[in-house]
Amino acid sequence: MPQLDFSVFPSQLFWLSVTFFAMLFVMSKIIIPRIAEMINLRREKIDDYLEKSAEIKEKAEEALERYHSALKQATDEANQSLQKTQQDLKNMIDRRQADLSEELNRQISEGEKKIQASKEKVMKQAEEIAAELAGEVVKKLGFKVSAKALQAAVKETGGEK
Amino acid sequence: MSNPMEQFVIKPLIPIEVGGVDISFTNSALFMVLAAAVSTLLLAVCLRKRSIVPSPAQSVPEGAYEFISNLLRENVGPEGLKYFPFIFTMFLYVAFGNLLGLFPYAFTFTSHLTAVGSLSLIALLFNICIGIKRKKLGWLRTFMPRGIPMALAPLIVPIEMISFLSKPFSLTVRLVANMTVGHIMLKIIAGFVVALGVAGVVPVLFNCCIVCFEIFIALLQAFIYTVLSCIYLGDALHEH
Repeated sequence: MPQLDFSVFPSQLFWLSVTFFAMLFVMSKIIIPRIAEMINLRREKIDDYLEKSAEIKEKAEEALERYHSALKQATDEANQSLQKTQQDLKNMIDRRQADLSEELNRQISEGEKKIQASKEKVMKQAEEIAAELAGEVVKKLGFKVSAKALQAAVKETGGEK
Repeated sequence: MSNPMEQFVIKPLIPIEVGGVDISFTNSALFMVLAAAVSTLLLAVCLRKRSIVPSPAQSVPEGAYEFISNLLRENVGPEGLKYFPFIFTMFLYVAFGNLLGLFPYAFTFTSHLTAVGSLSLIALLFNICIGIKRKKLGWLRTFMPRGIPMALAPLIVPIEMISFLSKPFSLTVRLVANMTVGHIMLKIIAGFVVALGVAGVVPVLFNCCIVCFEIFIALLQAFIYTVLSCIYLGDALHEH
């Protein structure tokens, strides 16, 4: 078997060492750094992109937060102004109502006074008419009574109503 | 029928003798040169145009790079990446030695005990150097593991030494046997082609299948050779 021929061992060892170490030299000095460079460059680039995307995400979240806070502020402001307007309106209505009821009360009391006055006046007239009427009746019956007495009698009976 | 062993005969192409030692440039040496040159040139060509997004050609060396670095990480650990160039070169050297041997009329130097043995010897010396550099005198613990009584030393030390030296030997024999058997099979079946006349088409087709299978074996054996080298390297780096 030629495989077991050990006379070629020195030649085999020599040439294998030469070729193997030459190849090892070229590989480690030229080929491997070229491969590694590209792989590292790619990894760096990917890491860079990942970092950038994280940054952008953070910015977007920040913007969203700002939007939310602005929205909240606007809502608060709107609520506040709404409340203020409602309060204003309420105040105005209250004031008007107070004015109006005062006016009405005044008119009512005035009217009552007028009614009272005209009532008194009517009562007085009624007494006079009653006295006159009583005078006529008495005259027709043939009695003679002084007007003063008549009036006093009417007043007396008038109080019995 | 020609002798199926004829393909393994080493013939000197350029006789060289230095100090009485024959180091002729043989057909085996020629294919060693070819394995080293072809693999290196192939990677160089694939790396000619490089971009962040790899082209199909560029992904070949990058795939090999990732493959070997994962192998080292898994079998040796992160500190094994320091020895990446050695393992990477070894894998390509063996793989191309196997693959180039599959061409008709080519010579398969990986089927030779002396050639693969030399490579294993280099790997062994590499491991010993790393072991001594890392552990200094503690490297001798390889032959006398901690926790074993001194009285057992005369028994343990020779056993450990044999086991240490048998690792590269088994590595060599595995690769050599696989390559030799494959090529003998191809040669014998090819021998039937002419002998069978028209029916010779059957062994031709059969041989085609075997060649495909042998391509797979060539890569598989290179892979096994590399993995085991990684494991032995891991042994050299760590306590066991």
